Amino acid sequence: MLGLFNTLNLGARALTAEQVGVEVTGQNLANASNPAYARQTVQFQTSTPTPSSIGMEGTGVEAVSIQQVRNQLLDGQIQSESSVGGYWNSQQTALQNAQTQLNEFLNLNSTSGTSGATTGTQGLSSQLNNLFNAFQSVATSPTDPSARLSLVDSAQTLASTFNQTSQNLSTLNGLLNTSVGNDVSSANQLLSDIAGINGQIAKATASGGNANDLVDSREQDLENLANLVNIQTTSNSDGTVSVSIAGQELVTGNKLSDTLATYDSGGGNLLVQTATSATPLTLSGGSIQGTIDARDGTLAALRNNLDTMASSLITQVNGIYKNGYNLNGNSGADFFTGSDAATIGVNPTVVNDPSQIQASGVANAGGDNSVALQLAQLGQQPIAALNNQTLSGAYAQDVQSFGNALSNANDQVTNYNSVNTMLLNQRDSVSGVSLEEETTNLITYQKAYECSAKLISTVDEMLQTVVAMKNT
Amino acid sequence: MRIAGTSFTDSMVSQLNLLSTRQYQLQNQASTGQTISAPSDDPAGMALALNLQADNSAVTQYSQNISTLQNRATIAGNALTSLQTIEERASEIATSADGTATPAQLQANASEVTQLIQQAAQLMNTQDGSQSVFGGTASGSAPFTVSTDASGNVTAVTYSGNTDVAPAAVSQIATINVDAPGENNSGTGARGIVSDSRYGADLFNHLISLQNNLLSGNTSAITSTDVQNLSKDSDNIIYQIASNGAAQTRLTAAASFASSQQSGLQQSLSSVAGVDLTQTLTHLTQANNAYQVALQTSSQIMQLQQYVLSTLP
Repeated sequence: MLGLFNTLNLGARALTAEQVGVEVTGQNLANASNPAYARQTVQFQTSTPTPSSIGMEGTGVEAVSIQQVRNQLLDGQIQSESSVGGYWNSQQTALQNAQTQLNEFLNLNSTSGTSGATTGTQGLSSQLNNLFNAFQSVATSPTDPSARLSLVDSAQTLASTFNQTSQNLSTLNGLLNTSVGNDVSSANQLLSDIAGINGQIAKATASGGNANDLVDSREQDLENLANLVNIQTTSNSDGTVSVSIAGQELVTGNKLSDTLATYDSGGGNLLVQTATSATPLTLSGGSIQGTIDARDGTLAALRNNLDTMASSLITQVNGIYKNGYNLNGNSGADFFTGSDAATIGVNPTVVNDPSQIQASGVANAGGDNSVALQLAQLGQQPIAALNNQTLSGAYAQDVQSFGNALSNANDQVTNYNSVNTMLLNQRDSVSGVSLEEETTNLITYQKAYECSAKLISTVDEMLQTVVAMKNT
Repeated sequence: MRIAGTSFTDSMVSQLNLLSTRQYQLQNQASTGQTISAPSDDPAGMALALNLQADNSAVTQYSQNISTLQNRATIAGNALTSLQTIEERASEIATSADGTATPAQLQANASEVTQLIQQAAQLMNTQDGSQSVFGGTASGSAPFTVSTDASGNVTAVTYSGNTDVAPAAVSQIATINVDAPGENNSGTGARGIVSDSRYGADLFNHLISLQNNLLSGNTSAITSTDVQNLSKDSDNIIYQIASNGAAQTRLTAAASFASSQQSGLQQSLSSVAGVDLTQTLTHLTQANNAYQVALQTSSQIMQLQQYVLSTLP
């Protein structure tokens, strides 16, 4: 038999246990909106029973541990999905920016010119059409100064749009390099944080304590790091987690063995290597690689295509134009100057004096239009340097492949969002704090606490009865 | 499945975001009348639209070419009709200059012919903007120059133009040539308007000869030579007027072809990038409804959570 004093102890133990329960519920409720938090539960255990003449007799309850409810499989999946999300989000951002810079938007409602013809787009496409139309106008009225002036105007607009687009895309390239640099420093900060938290966790575990809240912080850091760069993690027996990037272990326990650094792969384009051992890393996901792939893939192709188009335009137009004669009977000058999208320009002689345009195929026959006509027809002719497509056809294809890349990035981001939402919901269903559940637990602990207190006051009354027996 | 407190709000926010995006897209489509604005909206459709735009823009330019050419053809046509009147009057004078005419009459006729030559030369120097209509492709503004002697009689009309013509494009494959050179005695190329050795036409020299014969009273030369020569000139001018008319007809046909091509291209464009308004507005209404329902159910769930809290003792 326990006896009244031991029963008092039993009540006291119960009060302590229920109090822990209320504390943990409080902690859960306080973190209900903290996305990094995994709910905690109290593990109760019956305390050691005492043998008695009628058998083993219970001595109440003890709170033995506070456990975190985590599913490591889901955590791992969320980490790797975070790399996927980082990769496509950064591609989407870079390409959306490039789409704005390219400025090729369709507008069926815009009208221009005296004939009220739809110009359709605001970018290079319509300006290229305008150039060839202006050649047509000169071919139709070879000596008309206004036709010549509008040709100079169209050519200048086209050239400056080429220059501006090329400049904008080059600026974007620079911004993407800056973004790679920033992401690498963020990743280094996270790696160092993870190593630090690992140290604290190892200490807490060694002294037998729990490190639940530190694990939450580390999990969030790992997910943020995975968003930047694809990582591989290994859990160690002391509660620490080792982190590798592209096969290089950078965090081992509480030690930060190496960090990331950028290096110039040529032309100012940054790639990633380890800082100390200078090993180039082949990354497979995360926003750093997404930015690099957007820069070296789609954006580089777009810039290259614009340059090819500009240089083909320059070569083809000048090739025909050189043989023409201007209104003064002179020949041999170039129409376009420069060699690519960044440098294309209109020969200043022509800009200053449109009568210098070499539209005629015969010397001193200003009314001849054979060169202007050939130039106008150039717009419809396949060009070998552009895979036997016309200039506008090749450009439409460039726009299409660029559009495909962005549209794919958009789809991937949408996919990622739905997969991520699903995984987060799954994790929340395991680790998330349910207000209903916690409220119910709170009531349970409160009632149990009240009842245990009742037990103590009952035993107290019994003891008073016992004490009172002696006086009578 | 356990549902955590944040799952509700997270799902609600992402669901509302999705519905807002959808509403935004549909609203944008309805207001612009386009399903494609940016390359990423529909890459293949965008490329097709750009190609259609290029075709459309070229056809628009052909229409402009055609209207420029129509102007020039009308100017040339009017000049040719006037030239024909001049030639007819000269022929009348030549026919009337038989043995019965008095010397005074012949003198008067001679000075009228001089006037006619001056008029004809003026007509042949007609310009369309900065370009001479009848000077071939040569630079310079007035291809015909009249030389006179001390008494004002015309001694020569010289042509400084050339025998070339410049055809202009009226469609992707067709060019039309509305011009004819003032003179072409080269034996090849376009038929000259006042002079062409192949057809015996040489209006100015024939008129000068008429003028001179009238002045000298050589009526037999007029009857035997000038009348026949002028009739060749008449034939040549009639040919030119007919050929100008034919060019104008071809231009009208080309204009109607361009305009039907243009409307066809516009239709293709709007079927590629345009919006089906009924469908879009229906989808927009659906998205609006879904958005409202999402808001309502969310607020109900929030109220239930409130209720759970109020059950606390």
